Amino acid sequence: MGGQPLYLEPRLESRLRSLLGSPGLLHTLTDALGSPLNMVVPDQLADNLQQFRSVYGTHHLAGQVYLAHKATRSSALLRRLAATDAGVDVASLGELQHALGAGFTPDRIMATGPKNPEFLWLAARTSVTVSLDTRGELEQLATLVRKHALPRTRILLRLSGFETSGVRVLSRRSRFGTAVRELEPLLETVERYADVVDLVGVAYHLDTTSLGEKATALEGCLRVLEECRSRGLRPRAVDIGGGFGVNYLAHGGQWERYTTELTEAVLGTRPPLTYGGHGYGLRNEAGTVRGTLGLYPAHRQAAGARYLDELLAHPAASLGGRPLAALLLEHLYDLHTEPGRALLDQCGLTLTKVLEVRDQEVGGPLVVRLAAKADDVALEEHGVLMDPVVVPRDPASTGTRRDTEPVAVHLFGSLCLESDLITRRTVFLPRRPEPGDLLAFANTAGYCMDFHATRAQHQPVARKAAAWQEGDAWRWCLDDQYWPTTPVGGAQ
Amino acid sequence: MRYDSITDAIGNTPLVRIDPAVHGLRNIDLYAKLELLNPFGSVKDRAAWNMARPHLAAAASAAAGGGGQVVELSSGNTAKALAVLAGMHGLTFKSVTNRMRIPEIKDLLLLLGAEIEELPGQSECLDPTATDDPLTLFHRTLSEPDSTYLHTDQYFNPRNTEAHFTGTGPEIVKDLDGRAPDWFIACVGTAGSSTGVARALREHDPAVRVVGLVAAKSDFIPGIRTIDEAHEVGLFDPGTYDTIEAVSADDAIEGMLTLNRRCGILAGPTGGAAYFGAVRRLHAVDDALTERQSAVFIVCDRVESYLSYVRKRRPDLFGSPRRTNSPADLSDAEIRTAPAIGVTDARAWIATGEPLVVDLRSPYAYAALHIDGSVNIVDELFEELLHGGLPFSRNRPVLLACPVGEKSARYAALLTRMGHPDVRSLTGGIIAWRDAGAPLVRD
Repeated sequence: MGGQPLYLEPRLESRLRSLLGSPGLLHTLTDALGSPLNMVVPDQLADNLQQFRSVYGTHHLAGQVYLAHKATRSSALLRRLAATDAGVDVASLGELQHALGAGFTPDRIMATGPKNPEFLWLAARTSVTVSLDTRGELEQLATLVRKHALPRTRILLRLSGFETSGVRVLSRRSRFGTAVRELEPLLETVERYADVVDLVGVAYHLDTTSLGEKATALEGCLRVLEECRSRGLRPRAVDIGGGFGVNYLAHGGQWERYTTELTEAVLGTRPPLTYGGHGYGLRNEAGTVRGTLGLYPAHRQAAGARYLDELLAHPAASLGGRPLAALLLEHLYDLHTEPGRALLDQCGLTLTKVLEVRDQEVGGPLVVRLAAKADDVALEEHGVLMDPVVVPRDPASTGTRRDTEPVAVHLFGSLCLESDLITRRTVFLPRRPEPGDLLAFANTAGYCMDFHATRAQHQPVARKAAAWQEGDAWRWCLDDQYWPTTPVGGAQ
Repeated sequence: MRYDSITDAIGNTPLVRIDPAVHGLRNIDLYAKLELLNPFGSVKDRAAWNMARPHLAAAASAAAGGGGQVVELSSGNTAKALAVLAGMHGLTFKSVTNRMRIPEIKDLLLLLGAEIEELPGQSECLDPTATDDPLTLFHRTLSEPDSTYLHTDQYFNPRNTEAHFTGTGPEIVKDLDGRAPDWFIACVGTAGSSTGVARALREHDPAVRVVGLVAAKSDFIPGIRTIDEAHEVGLFDPGTYDTIEAVSADDAIEGMLTLNRRCGILAGPTGGAAYFGAVRRLHAVDDALTERQSAVFIVCDRVESYLSYVRKRRPDLFGSPRRTNSPADLSDAEIRTAPAIGVTDARAWIATGEPLVVDLRSPYAYAALHIDGSVNIVDELFEELLHGGLPFSRNRPVLLACPVGEKSARYAALLTRMGHPDVRSLTGGIIAWRDAGAPLVRD
C-alpha cells in the first residue's frame, strides 16, 4: 500500500483508555447485548463541565453552560449532568420532556431550534427560557401565553446577519435567527408583549470553526444589548451557542501526513487511499486540486473549553480592541454557552463485532465486515476520520498469530447495500483482525452514536450501556437504568 | 534615476551577495535577489502590474461612470500592489481571502482604500454533501452578466509567471555576468516567481537546480503555502522543482533575523524562510564540492508589516525594560491585603462626597451603566498614567471600581505602594454593586 501505514489513532483520555483495556468486560457485554453496542461514561461529562467552568472562572464570567441535548439521546448522560449545576439546551418536545424527567429544573433548561405549538406550550408552562428565532415565533409564543394564561416567559432573541465595519467578514447563511438589520421591529414586538415575555438576553449560533466570525457576532450582540438597554429593557446575558469542537486524534502529525497523502491520491501521484478513489470533496482538474475537503478537522490544537478561552481572549475590533471577555464582564453580562460535541468529548464509544475478514485482491485492502451499519457510527456523515481500536477476542493468542504485520482494510457494514461502508477511507490496523474481535470506535458520544442511527432492514438500533469506575473495577448498567444514585448503590 | 510613472520603477532590483562569514558556506556564493525594493514593497509588484496592465485602461474607461473594480484572492502583497495600481487608474480594489492573518497588512489595505472580504470558516457541523467551496461561489459572482470586475486570477494567470520569466529571471543572469546560478531557491506561494525564474534560468542552463520551499503544516508563514495548498494553485507544477522542502515558522523567523541583524537586509519572514531553506539545502552539498558554485534566493518583502506575527511567536525578541509602578510588580500578598471596601460601606462613604470614584472599565461599558458621579479611566490608560507617578492628590480619597474587584485590588495595592494614604478597591466590583441593588445610571 505504498510506504508506512497511515494511522489516524484516536485520542483516548484515561477513562476510555481504561475501558478499552478491559477486553473481558467489552466482550461479555457485546455477547450479551449484541453488536453494535454503545457505551457511555457519565462521569467524564462532569469533568468536561469543570473545564468549561474553569474558563468562565479565569475570565470572571458568570452564566450557564447548557449541554446541546441533540448531540446525544443517552438518559445516563443527561441524568449525570442533572446532578451537576449545568443546564441543558433542548430542541424538541421530546428532548424537553426528557430533560425535565432527568431532573433538570426549568431554570436550567433553554428551549431552542424549530418549535411546534406543543413544544412552546410545555416550555412556557414549565417556565423554561425560550430562545426565539423570528418575530413570528415571538408573536406565536406571546399569543399562546395570553390565551392559556401561562406565566410570563423568559426569552432570548437569536440573531444573525451581523455586520462589520472595515473588513467585511462573510458568514455562511443561517436559516435560524433574525437578521440584525430587522432588529427595530423585533424589539418593538418585545415591548408590545412586555406583559407576557421578559427579554433576558440575545443569542447567536454560527456554524463555523472561525474565531473571527464568532467574535464579530459577539460584538454585534453587545451592540444590540446596548440598544435594548437604551430602550429601557433589562437584558443581562449573551448566549453564544456552541461549536467549540473536539480534537479526535492523538497525533497531529498523523493527520497532517494523511491529508497530504490524500491530496496526492486525488492528484493520482500515489495509490488511492479510499474505497473507489473517493476524494472527500477534492477533485483533480488538470493536475490542480479543486473543491473543498469535506472532512471534520479531526486534529485541532484548540478545541472545547480551550477554544472558548481563545474566543473570550479575542480582541473586539470595533470596541477598542478589548478582549471579548473583558467587554462582557464590564457590561455586567452573563455568558451562556451551548456546547454539544465538546461537552461530550471522551464520554462514550461504540463497539462492533468483526463478522468476516476476507482477502479480496492480492496485496489490496482486506474486506472486513462488521455487525453494525454505517449509520450506527456515522463517522462518514460527520466527516470524522479516526481509526477503530482492535479489541481481540482472545488476548492470549496475540503473540502466536500468523499475521502481526499492519494491514489495510475496508470496513463494510451489515446492510445489503453497496454503499454501506463504515468509512470510505482505507483504514490501517496494526494487525489483521479475526472474526469475533471487536472494533471499538472511540469518542462517539457526541452526535456519532445517536444522530443518524436507523432501523433499516429490521436491524436493531444499538443498545446503550452506562459504565463507571468503582475502585479499579468497571461497573455498568443499561443506559436507561442509570441514575446518579446508581454508582454508589450498585446497580447490578 | 528619473521616471514618468511609479510603475516604471518596478523590477531591476539589486542582487546582493551574502557575506560568507554569515552563512558559513565555503564553496558557494549565495546571492539575495532584493525584491523588497520594488516600489510597493514586494516581489508581487511585478506580477500585479503584468497581470493588470493590459486591462486597466479598458476597465477604467468601461467604468467611466464609476463602479469598476479590480478583484483578487490575496491575503497580502498582491492585494497591496493591485490596490495601488487600481487607485492610480481610478478603479477600486477588492480582496477576497480566507488567509489574511496579518493585522498590519489588513490595516494597510484599508488605508489604501481596498475593500476586504473574508470568507467564512469551515463548518463545525459538517454537511458532506456541500462540496461548493466559498471560492466556487466567488467565481460565480465574477462571471455574472454585466459584471464590471477585473479579476487578475493570480493563481492561474500565466502573466504572473511571465513577469518573472521576462523580468526577474533574466535580471539574475545579467547580474551574474551572463551565467545562470547553479542553485535557485524560492518559496512557493502563487508559484509565479519560482516557476517564471526557474524557466528563464533553465533556458539559459538546463543544469540549474531549483529548490521549492513550502510551509510546514503545523504553522503558517505569510506568503508561503503548505504542500497541500500548493496543489490548489494552477501555476504550481511539482515538476518545476528538483526538490520541495518544508520550512517551519520558527525557521523562517530565524532566517529573517539573520538577514535583518547581520546582513542589513530588512526582509520579512518569507525572505527569512528562503534564506533558511537555502542555507540548509546548500550546507548539505557544500563540503563535497570541488569547484565554486553560486546560488540565488528571493527576498520577497519587508519586515515592518510582520511585527505582530513575530511578536506572537517570539515575544522574547521584544523584551523591553521593566517600567516603574507597574501592577505586574506587585506580590500576591500586596494584592490580597490591598485596602478594600464592601458595597454597603462604599455607598455610605460616597454619600459623604469625599472619595473620587474611578471606574476602570472600558468607555463603552461605562457609558452603558455606572455609579453616579464616577470618573471613567480605562485600566490600560490608568496603567500608563501611573508609570509617571500619582495622578491624584494625596489628600483626595479614591474608590476604584472594576467589574469584579480584581483589577481594582491590584491598582489599590499599587497606589498604596506609591504612597497614596486613602485608596480602596470596591469589593466584588460593579457586579456586586448591581447585585446588591445599588443604583447604576446612564448619563
